[in-house]
Amino acid sequence: MSSGIQEMSATGIWALLFLAIASTYLWRGLGTMIAARIDPESRVLQWVSCVAYGLLAALISRILFLPVGVLEDTLLVDRLGATAFGFLLFFVFKRHIGAGTLGAAGAFMLLVWARTHGIL
Amino acid sequence: MVAASMVGYGALVHSADLSLAFGIVSTLGIWGLPGQVAFIEYMLLGAPLVSMMIGVSLANMRFLPMSISLAALFRGSGSGWRWRYLWVQFMSVNTWVGLMRRVPELTPDQRGAFYAGFSTICLIAGAVGVSAGFLMAEALPFFVTVSLVFLNPIYFAFVFAAMRARAGLLAFAAGAVVGPPAYLLTPEWSLPLAGIIAGSVGHFTDQYLKART
Repeated sequence: MSSGIQEMSATGIWALLFLAIASTYLWRGLGTMIAARIDPESRVLQWVSCVAYGLLAALISRILFLPVGVLEDTLLVDRLGATAFGFLLFFVFKRHIGAGTLGAAGAFMLLVWARTHGIL
Repeated sequence: MVAASMVGYGALVHSADLSLAFGIVSTLGIWGLPGQVAFIEYMLLGAPLVSMMIGVSLANMRFLPMSISLAALFRGSGSGWRWRYLWVQFMSVNTWVGLMRRVPELTPDQRGAFYAGFSTICLIAGAVGVSAGFLMAEALPFFVTVSLVFLNPIYFAFVFAAMRARAGLLAFAAGAVVGPPAYLLTPEWSLPLAGIIAGSVGHFTDQYLKART
């Protein structure tokens, strides 16, 4: 599985990491430069904030529906069921973030545990 | 919260045969879980350098609109504005949301101090989480690690759902709908594409509703 890494030298791996850090900072630095040039009360800035919210929502929704990595080994019905349960608690407790998060994560853990033990 | 989500990343670094130091430096340096995970996956695949840089960079492209709105908040805050190029490095979804939620109660001058303290705590928690995940990687059962990975997106979903601003809520709801189909259409460009569509829907629907009332 880790054949790609074992072929690389230790220095090579660290050099790659610093390139990855730099390519991430590019967006951060660019955004900061742009922020100095636009009016904080402007509609453009409000639109940009909305784009950030929409983008993060798309990311979360993609992780739930089409995950990559360990979550791939879980069932869609478990992920969505746990999320729905969390939202139920969220609204019952008057839009309480903790109730929703713990409810969803707890339900998810229980579902995965039950499946690995052949209960479900 | 941050620590818990980074535990999953620590376990991933361990499974890739990389060192703990590498896990900590990559966490604090990239400081964005999707980009970090993309980076490790590209390394495992031994993908070409250019492809890897583009992949990591695209995974963290969300930092562009986020840093524009974050840095704009530091205007009028002495230390916040002076150190803004450092503060954006400390920015993650968590610290961004943390500041956005408190903005109404904070004067511009308090924002810098609040953010400095809050984001530093998050960085420390992230480093602790990665270490814990790395060291416990073999001891934790599957249902625990997978739930820790699940915790991260689900927490953000509720933080955003609890927002009061109508434009942001509309954009968030639109993004949740557009996200998966956009990913099927174009995996690499899905996030900026979905963000622009959903952000415009939220912003302009809000403007339209305002104009009508």
